[in-house]
Amino acid sequence: MNKQRYGLSLVEIVLSMGILAMIMLPVFMTFSSGNTNIQVTEGEFRAHTAALELMEQIISLPFNLIRPGSYAPAQIIDGGAFAGGPVLFRLTSDPDLKHSLKIEEVKRDNKILFKKITVTVAYPSARASDRLREFTLKTLVANENI
Amino acid sequence: MKIFNRGFTLVEILVVCGVSAIFLGVAIMLFTNFRQGYSRSESVAVLMQESALFLARLRTDMNNAVLSGPQGGIENQIQATPEQLRLNVYSSGQGRILPVIYRYVAAGSGGSIIRKEAEGGEKVLIKNHVASLAWQMQLERFATAGSGTFRIGVAVAMQLKTATGNEKPFAIKTCVFPARLNRQLNTP
Repeated sequence: MNKQRYGLSLVEIVLSMGILAMIMLPVFMTFSSGNTNIQVTEGEFRAHTAALELMEQIISLPFNLIRPGSYAPAQIIDGGAFAGGPVLFRLTSDPDLKHSLKIEEVKRDNKILFKKITVTVAYPSARASDRLREFTLKTLVANENI
Repeated sequence: MKIFNRGFTLVEILVVCGVSAIFLGVAIMLFTNFRQGYSRSESVAVLMQESALFLARLRTDMNNAVLSGPQGGIENQIQATPEQLRLNVYSSGQGRILPVIYRYVAAGSGGSIIRKEAEGGEKVLIKNHVASLAWQMQLERFATAGSGTFRIGVAVAMQLKTATGNEKPFAIKTCVFPARLNRQLNTP
């Protein structure tokens, strides 16, 4: 049987296009992941701004008023009492963000040298997403009374 | 049996053209979506950077702000009006206290935020991107032992928009509490 072929068959072309599509798919997925990363950066920026706001209002207080303890997101609300009052939380950030706060004492020779403040803000990993990411900010406040 | 296949039939070409059109259509659609998304994200990234720079500048100035006189007069020393925010800042470079003024110049196409330090020149912090801006000085007094505890802050709410104005404005709302200044304020 003498079979001569001068062109490609339909099956060959469709197959090659399928392979091409499979090659192009990761390329387009790379594009979309770049956009997703910028959205994550926006969320992180908002979380950073919110964390800084909470951190600054705590470290603005006199050393003895920065009382140690842990505060869950439900306790950190605008107008809510910090450490049982009279100081109040002031939060202007958006409701998608969940704050938590931890204050610990750093002692040496029974003297409180520092207070370690840890603020964590949980934010949605993407718009309208239930998955959360966390941004944490830590600082030390020195005891100016010793 | 001899088979001479000299090319494609009309049906084959039509089918291949149809499949190619679908494939290219999807590819072009994906690419167009990506371009739009990228353009939007890039604009938002620029706005984020500008707002971060402005807030950082304001935070530094507030921390270096100098208050003189009785605590009751704080409101008069950091003055916030819709058009400007004025405070006295200690300049370590010049070794003296200088007035610093932040001005908001509203414009239909996009306003600007300008910082001016004493006799020095003006520096534009955000140019033609501000859709709206409100800043307000807040002074709280908590009933604690002695004369109470003061906490000063400047609440900032602003919306930034892209040069084209087609995208959704980037909104940021926060309050800047100058820790150093507040701690100084409450020092017995």
